[in-house]
Amino acid sequence: MVKIGLAQDFTAVYTFVTSDYNQGQRDYFTLINERGGIDGYTLQVDVVDTANQPQRGIEAYERMKNDGVVLVDFLSTPVSRAVVPRALKDQVNMMTIMHGRSDAADGETFPFIFPMSPLYWSQAASIVKYIADQENGDLKGKKIAFVGIDSPFGREPLPIFQALADKEGFELSIFHYPSPGNEQSATWTSVRRVRPDWTIIWGAGVGQTVSLREAIRNGIKLDRLVSNAWLSEVDTEIAGREAAKGVLRFEGVAYGKDLPIIQAIENEVVAKGKSAGPAEKVGSSYYNIGVAGAALVVEGIRHALEKAPGKLAGPQLKAGLESIANFDAQGLMPPVTISARDHQGGGKGRICQWDGTRWVPKTDWYAASQDLVWELVRKTAQEFKASGN
Amino acid sequence: MDIAFLLELSANGILIGLMYALIALGIVLIFKSSGIANLAQGAMAMVGAYVAWALLVLAGMPLWLAIPLSLAIMFFFGTGIERVALRPMVGQPVIMVVMLTLGLEILLRGLAPAIFGTAIKRLDLGIPQAPIIVGPVLINTAYLVSGAVALGLVLLSIMFFGTRLGTVLRAVSDDQMASWSVGIFVERAIGLSWGLAGVAAAFGGILWGSVQGVDWTLSLLLIKALAIAILGGLDSIPGVLIAGVIIGVLESVVPAFLDPHVGGGTRDVVASLVILLTVILRPHGLFGREDIERV
Repeated sequence: MVKIGLAQDFTAVYTFVTSDYNQGQRDYFTLINERGGIDGYTLQVDVVDTANQPQRGIEAYERMKNDGVVLVDFLSTPVSRAVVPRALKDQVNMMTIMHGRSDAADGETFPFIFPMSPLYWSQAASIVKYIADQENGDLKGKKIAFVGIDSPFGREPLPIFQALADKEGFELSIFHYPSPGNEQSATWTSVRRVRPDWTIIWGAGVGQTVSLREAIRNGIKLDRLVSNAWLSEVDTEIAGREAAKGVLRFEGVAYGKDLPIIQAIENEVVAKGKSAGPAEKVGSSYYNIGVAGAALVVEGIRHALEKAPGKLAGPQLKAGLESIANFDAQGLMPPVTISARDHQGGGKGRICQWDGTRWVPKTDWYAASQDLVWELVRKTAQEFKASGN
Repeated sequence: MDIAFLLELSANGILIGLMYALIALGIVLIFKSSGIANLAQGAMAMVGAYVAWALLVLAGMPLWLAIPLSLAIMFFFGTGIERVALRPMVGQPVIMVVMLTLGLEILLRGLAPAIFGTAIKRLDLGIPQAPIIVGPVLINTAYLVSGAVALGLVLLSIMFFGTRLGTVLRAVSDDQMASWSVGIFVERAIGLSWGLAGVAAAFGGILWGSVQGVDWTLSLLLIKALAIAILGGLDSIPGVLIAGVIIGVLESVVPAFLDPHVGGGTRDVVASLVILLTVILRPHGLFGREDIERV
């Protein structure tokens, strides 16, 4: 038996994503168990609510560690950050897909921390690359407005945007709204005033919904409005499916049910009444991110057991995860390659667009400006080494 | 200075302030009748929005039926809280009762998403997304409608306290023992104020829910409502109106000019400063009653 700890926020800040994400993870683990496990090992999942509180996360981590988990996932940047030093010391693997500290991509500094997905810095770089491509490669003199939540998460991509603004010659205007973002009218009045050529929104949950609605009300062209990965069909539903038509987002994991891995879950888990949540959530954006993370973990376990049959503690799983190569979970995500140095896995994603009923890919999977991203990763990882924080 | 920019910020700020005032109204209604600051008002607004969503979407009711029914349910929800949780606390120190309302806020904040699910819900009141454009000024239609409803309700509340029933509530607020002694059913009067606070919360929750969607974050409206209630004076309904407009405009205008210079984040500072200055300079708020006691 392999034990995995999912100590996540079901009741406080990230409720908008946790239930779908967690359901996706558990459904995929159930699929693997239904198929007999991995080399005879079945997966056991321990689910705990942290309410996004680092202290509760630490308590859950300590209990799960004593219970023998080999991997934990908090789906919370503040909780993950709080547990990083312990996980490194205890040699317990921590998955931080689409969240967590970006410098954890540096596997040499953070050997047991695994983002395994495009960092926020990679997401920002990919968005700027998309915009540049639409402008025939020339961003000189263009105005790009950044509208983000006023929190460490909302400020995280700014160094990359600033660096790219200097390099590409575009004018970056930055607007922050207070958390949680339920009222942004003054912010968008200011945005409209600068007449941006493109607008980038950087929030999550209710902040994203309100950003989208305010953009629509302020006459911002939605096919020139790009979000990070945390914009889902729930947001477009609330803003109005038709009204939200055209909005763009970065995605690191494909959306929808039309994927072999999701169909397998439908047939072998959901149809048997074994799903961990409502059937209508299967294939949703956040559900699929959960499946992608679980698939990467299972792939890591598979590799670990190949390398060291019969032995699966933290260090063995780490080695297994670090030998994942070109794994795309049958088209669910871009090919991910993880090494001891690179825990990001390549940083590839794509831009997709809301067509009124679903998200449609506008590009192939790609990564952008990884030289700049890694410069920043190494710089902040060095700071962690020096300060332990 | 760009006058159109200032006008737009001010106009939308006034409307948003009025929407916040709706939540503050519930706090003042209860304080006016029982002398208790209700810290569960944010969660009550959230519950009101969830109830309206459940009636509209889950039960499939038309808007004209779902909204009045939500208001009625929230009236009884408010009176129910008074009956079940508050009445047994009679005779306890006020701080205990205030803490009870805080506990209620936390309980409801967890309970409603557990019952209805954690995903944000769409609450469509049929208000057009297109803004109203007056000259160079763009006014958010949803805020305009909501602000008008809020203004109407606050004015109705002011008129209500001029009626016989309103006078009873004021008497209870002044002196519960004296009210008892002249035959006023004090518990019933306080229950009524909780019911009315439930209705105000439902209006606030529904209007805010139509703007941002319905989820637990609606309960955070409590913070702004408290700021408005403190500035206006905890026992003054006209104070709610004026303070709502002041805080709405300040929060809208000041950050637009300050944020670019300091990198953002000044909006919440504005509200905090207003509370701080009010408490230091005028603890009873702009229109609150300053009790003078002979020592």
